Amino acid sequence: MARVRVFLAVLFLLFTSSPVHGADNGSDSVLESVPDLEKAMYLNLKSYPCVRLLNLSGEIGCSNPGNDKISAPIVRLKSGTIRLARPSTVLLQEEQMRDFFLRVSGDLEFSKNVAGVLVEPSETVNMSSGFSPADKFPQSAFAPYSNTSYEWNLPGSGIMWNKYDFPVFLLAEESISTLKEIVGERNEASPENVAEFDLVMQTTKLGTHDSETCLKEQTCLPLGGYSVWSSLPPINISSTVTKPIVFAVASFDSASFFRDRSLGADSPISGLIALLTAVDALSHVNHLKNLKKQLVFAVLTGEAWGYLGSRQFLQELDLGSDSIRGLSSSMIEQIVEIGSVGQSLGKGGTLFYAHAGGESSGTKVILKALEDASESLGSDNVKVKKASSMNPGIPPSSLMAFLRKNTSASGIVLGDFDSAFSNKFYHSHLDNASNIKTSSVAAAAALVARALYIIANGDATLDLMALNDIKVNVSLVEELVGCLVTCEPGLSCELVGRYISPSNADCPSHYVGVFQDTPSASQKPSYVDDTSRFLWNFLADMTSATRDGTDSCTGDCSNVGDVCIGSETEGGGKCVISTTRYVPAYSTRLKYENNIWHVLPANPSDPMESVDPVWTESYWNTIGLRVYKVESPLYDRLVLAGGVFVTFASYLAVVIARTQLAKVVKRD
Amino acid sequence: MTVAAGVGYVLIALGPALSLLASVIAKKPFLILTLLSSTLFWLISLIILAGAWRAFLPVKSTELWPYSILILTSVGFQEGIRIGFWRLFKKMEDMLNAFADRVSKPRLFLTDKMLLALAGGLGHGLAHAVFFCLSLLTPAFGPATFYVDKCPSIPFFLISAIIALGFVIIHTFSMVIAFNGYTEGKRKDQIFVPFAHLIAALITLINLVPGGCNIGLPLLCIMAGTTLYYSWQLVWRRLTEHQTTRSSD
Repeated sequence: MARVRVFLAVLFLLFTSSPVHGADNGSDSVLESVPDLEKAMYLNLKSYPCVRLLNLSGEIGCSNPGNDKISAPIVRLKSGTIRLARPSTVLLQEEQMRDFFLRVSGDLEFSKNVAGVLVEPSETVNMSSGFSPADKFPQSAFAPYSNTSYEWNLPGSGIMWNKYDFPVFLLAEESISTLKEIVGERNEASPENVAEFDLVMQTTKLGTHDSETCLKEQTCLPLGGYSVWSSLPPINISSTVTKPIVFAVASFDSASFFRDRSLGADSPISGLIALLTAVDALSHVNHLKNLKKQLVFAVLTGEAWGYLGSRQFLQELDLGSDSIRGLSSSMIEQIVEIGSVGQSLGKGGTLFYAHAGGESSGTKVILKALEDASESLGSDNVKVKKASSMNPGIPPSSLMAFLRKNTSASGIVLGDFDSAFSNKFYHSHLDNASNIKTSSVAAAAALVARALYIIANGDATLDLMALNDIKVNVSLVEELVGCLVTCEPGLSCELVGRYISPSNADCPSHYVGVFQDTPSASQKPSYVDDTSRFLWNFLADMTSATRDGTDSCTGDCSNVGDVCIGSETEGGGKCVISTTRYVPAYSTRLKYENNIWHVLPANPSDPMESVDPVWTESYWNTIGLRVYKVESPLYDRLVLAGGVFVTFASYLAVVIARTQLAKVVKRD
Repeated sequence: MTVAAGVGYVLIALGPALSLLASVIAKKPFLILTLLSSTLFWLISLIILAGAWRAFLPVKSTELWPYSILILTSVGFQEGIRIGFWRLFKKMEDMLNAFADRVSKPRLFLTDKMLLALAGGLGHGLAHAVFFCLSLLTPAFGPATFYVDKCPSIPFFLISAIIALGFVIIHTFSMVIAFNGYTEGKRKDQIFVPFAHLIAALITLINLVPGGCNIGLPLLCIMAGTTLYYSWQLVWRRLTEHQTTRSSD
């Protein structure tokens, strides 16, 4: 019967000859069924939402104000608008975002009529002054120095840290043309274009407005993920390492106003890529076993949300848990962190800055190594300079957590900036591949690889030939940029495909996400995101000493101390000797007990716990955005009145006709 | 466009049909039966047409002539089987009269026959309205409205309802005219019906032209009014004549 209706519907379309043409992209697609008609009426726009996040004292981010969908007519924001006449969906250009959200937080008269916000990405990014919704000093409470009003992030507006009681969506590039068609049409009062938002957050529904309550009521989950560490060469795990450790660190999570649009190309993925490339370069050095110090690499996540990765890592070191077996915190002598290194191209070569933190004798070693490495790179012209002494200290980085935990530690943060970030799009959705230069990242990788070799060599005589043999694979840098920071090819690139089958083979997103596992410190967690899994497999591969006669595996390896890399791929994995581990990253103030997360009181001996906001993310059912036309309520009433009128008028006509005809027909 | 508008569209399309149902048809059970059978009969005719045209649809052409061929063949088919419908009707009439004779009750009056024709026509109109308007009307009860590119001034559902209204009237009263024409053998009436149907269907082609619906819809309503008027004139004449012949007996 349904098929008949389709035929007849088509027949109708032809009989009555008012062919219904779909409005998608102006193409004349003929509608062939009622579902087609509905699809043409209700246009789903691909977009990225801003979601509700909570901390111990309240909420940030966006949400529908109640339990229902919100719909409001779309209005373009014109400069000089004082008030909105009625609840509207405000359509913004990217350039207007900063001023708009700052205004909404301050002006209640204005914001009460903001029912929802759509941000239209501009084809050409015309923001020479930059855009950053983060603070001017991100996570200043964690700094190991007191000058928290210093401005590291000059374009910072802090708008992502405010609470908004309306939905905000960033439109995807492919939705721009659909939107232009809709909004660019006639400007008559009726019909209006309306945007309908489905951004109902569980925490709003159940009235839990801070982390502690929402975790108890199970309307939210804590932020977290899995960091990865690996040692080169692999350590004999049965004994704790006896060599001092050179610890090279990078973080791989970013943040943004829009949850699923955190590429973080310069901050921090450029640093991550430099680290991975350095690992690859160092893995070709022959006699690493003979070096005085042990090289350990760690990639941490959750750093943008209270240094979750580094703090949990440090706590696991204290507890001596399984995940860090083979390491000991007292043996860590030098820490080298690679921060944003994607923008250092200036006139005549690349220049990096070394931000030193902690005890000066330790940092002197690292600085000397960096200078020697720079010299050895000679014609490549990679320079390094000590950061200005006018800076209050190290920039926001994982090193802050290490220093606050153990003030006798010493480390350097390597970056492409001196007194303030050179990244104008720090923690914004615009920090994408066009914001970094591959050559800058490759230069940093070369510098760090050689410097780490020099430091690990300790006070032994330096083998200059081996040093000069350490070369960076530039095509690897390009591949990693393609995989981790662009949408084409994104995570469906060949390099990633060698190790994992990504669940989201699309644009990579480096938002840390929520911690869905039970943190039972196992090395086989169930909910590890694509990036972490890739990093684990990649590092294990790079730092591995392959066993002869490699066994293929899908999970465990027969030999203790072996790991199975590439187990998700079609061909199965292979067992290698490698010391590569996952370390869970979540707030040290949380404890998982009886299937619920509990917030513990702050540990007085750890100064970072009292400033940890304990970020959580609300649950939600579905998130969606669609746009359609509506008629004015007057029209609806007129149509109803018209129908009633037609019915009654025809009834009257029938009655009159009947009476007339009855008079003619005189029946006996 | 909300439930109010949805109900409004249903009433626009089916208003006269509901009025006729309530005040004329519902009073006589036999008319209800005739109405239902007629609806079924014309539904089947539409199914056959849809099946026959399946291979050629959708017509991917911006020109009007393929649609006119479609309309010509479909109207021709329906008018052709209208004669068959009338023959069935005649057979039923004979059976009813024979039954009436057996139980010594009066035979069918002229008014009865005209009411039967009306019920038959209403069935035809209802079949058209249900499939060509009501089946598409479900989205009209939701919050959104829809406009077709070729007609940006009138909402799609309103156009659909008005066209359905026009055709309900045309089909209902065409059957009265046709049955009278076949019974009396009057050429004028016999030709009027197919022509009216064809012209009304061709008028809808005007809607294919950008902005054409502003002309097409009023024209269709004029056509419906013409059919209604013609039918009224015919019925009035027939009944007056009949009374005269009867009273002269």
